[in-house]
Amino acid sequence: MAAERHASPNWVLLSLMLAGLLAWLSLDAVSVAPNRIVAGAPHRAYEVMGGWPMLLVTLPMLGVMALAWRPDSRRLRLAVALVVALLAALPLWLAAAVWALVDPSLPQARLGIGASVWLLLFLWLLVLLELRTRLGLARWQGWALLLPVLAAWWLALAHWLEPLALNREYQGRSDQFVAAIGYHLALVGAAVGASLLLGVALALAMRRHAGLQRAGFAVLNFLQTIPSLALFGLLLAPLAWLSARVEWLSALGVSGIGWAPAWLALVAYSLLPMVRNTFVALEGVDAGVLESARGMGMSRQQVFWQVRLPLALPVILEGVRITTVQAIGLTAVAALIGAGGLGTFIFQGLGQAAMDLVLLGALPIIALALLADALFGALADGLRHGGAR
Amino acid sequence: MPLLWLGLLLAATLGMEQLEGVLRLIEPDSREVIYRRDTFLALLVQHVMVVLVASLLAVAIGVGAAIAVTRPAGRDFRPLVGQLASIGQTFPPVAVLALAVPVLGFGTLPIIMALLLYGLLPIVRNTLAGIEGIDPAVHEAARGMGMTGVQVLRQVELPLAAPVILAGIRTSVTINIATAAIGATVGASNLGDPIISGIVNGNTAYVVQGAVLIGLLAISVDSLFERFMPRLAPR
Repeated sequence: MAAERHASPNWVLLSLMLAGLLAWLSLDAVSVAPNRIVAGAPHRAYEVMGGWPMLLVTLPMLGVMALAWRPDSRRLRLAVALVVALLAALPLWLAAAVWALVDPSLPQARLGIGASVWLLLFLWLLVLLELRTRLGLARWQGWALLLPVLAAWWLALAHWLEPLALNREYQGRSDQFVAAIGYHLALVGAAVGASLLLGVALALAMRRHAGLQRAGFAVLNFLQTIPSLALFGLLLAPLAWLSARVEWLSALGVSGIGWAPAWLALVAYSLLPMVRNTFVALEGVDAGVLESARGMGMSRQQVFWQVRLPLALPVILEGVRITTVQAIGLTAVAALIGAGGLGTFIFQGLGQAAMDLVLLGALPIIALALLADALFGALADGLRHGGAR
Repeated sequence: MPLLWLGLLLAATLGMEQLEGVLRLIEPDSREVIYRRDTFLALLVQHVMVVLVASLLAVAIGVGAAIAVTRPAGRDFRPLVGQLASIGQTFPPVAVLALAVPVLGFGTLPIIMALLLYGLLPIVRNTLAGIEGIDPAVHEAARGMGMTGVQVLRQVELPLAAPVILAGIRTSVTINIATAAIGATVGASNLGDPIISGIVNGNTAYVVQGAVLIGLLAISVDSLFERFMPRLAPR
């Protein structure tokens, strides 16, 4: 069975690479514009420096396809190396495109990344994911593979990709960008922190009173179905009214727009996953374990703090993970009611039809969400293994 | 319950003019308290159409893809599709919407595409979970009775997986209703319009009108699922 499996071609890799190859050869790779306002002139990959740099990207792709035709573990490892090299080489290709296409005498000239480059990035990451699964690599090994790629991109962005449109948008507002990330994370942290405290308290109360449990879950489920934009909007009026009437609230900076409605809405949305996971986690601890802890002479308090809570912690952390990822996305919407954060760039960009500004907001948001997901996932895994000993 | 919410939704959509007095209390200084750039009915229909088209496509593609990768011929793609569905869910819907605009431009099409792409994920994940959660013995028995692959799929796998698949569709539609509203910022006219325009012009009455209608729409659709899900489930 195993020998047969190695012999048959890996169709997943073959079709992904073929799709990438077709996109690379047929779609626009970059666009060049003399300034921010004018629409860019599109260029295919083969139009850059007579197509030689394009070949350097094409050949490794063909190589991966050849390796995928008769895959065994050694060939798949080689394919991983090739794909990592490709991902790291893409910014160098862009640097070549900048050198060849962008007029250095125009200070505002910019190079936009086109459809085929985005598609390649996406498809190659999928290839890496597939290879990771086939080779049975651990999650951290997958992340480690991306380190040289990130280093190459960082190097290229710092030295050779100054005219990249995304980079130009960043240069114009680098202080704002850093502040926006900080503010975004602060808002998410404050909301998740508050909902963690509130959620655990609520879950503990629900375990005591069955009536509260039913009513609580009904209300939280109801809240979750209300669209975020609507909830932000509905909080506007009451908060504006409150801050106009209550002096100490307005002194705190609470008003109809800004962080206050955003934070409230984020907490409201975060409560359901938090309470649900905490409740399930605390209820789900094996009764036999609790029994034996009692048998050892532990008091109720000790059983809760030393047995029930530590065993429930991984599932509670899962709630924190879901909540954090969700809050990172919702905070972007909150920019519409003036809450700041990375969503500001998205909506500013949409307003000015400046797509690279949209990307400057959207890409970090996705990166933050993925990072938060990986971080809490790893933490929960660690706790589970530590607790199982 | 769904009838009550649907009734409220329709009443609010058609009778917003009658609420002028109440809305005037919220926004006493503005010249205009009722959003008039489009009728609420038109906005509601647009909203529902966008969500409906995107969700139907997402169901067709999502369930189809999940079925394809659980057949022997497509099994090679199963790990990748599963991982893609779970990683994709960490992407915030707003970011997906924002990324669709540079590629597809402004208007209704990018919104449908973004909703479709994002709505696929819960459907694929739940369909996979539903089909793979079936007891292998049931599968074996159906095969033993002489059923063909197609018969097993239609008479055993899909009916047994239906509740889980429907739960995925419900999640997908709920997210889509919310994300479509944000789509008003990329040039689609729907119930998000009054909210955005209210925020921009500082007119809270507009915001309330949009927010109430979207809220009612979301709750109506959710209660429809609630009402009809248990009926479909055991068969």
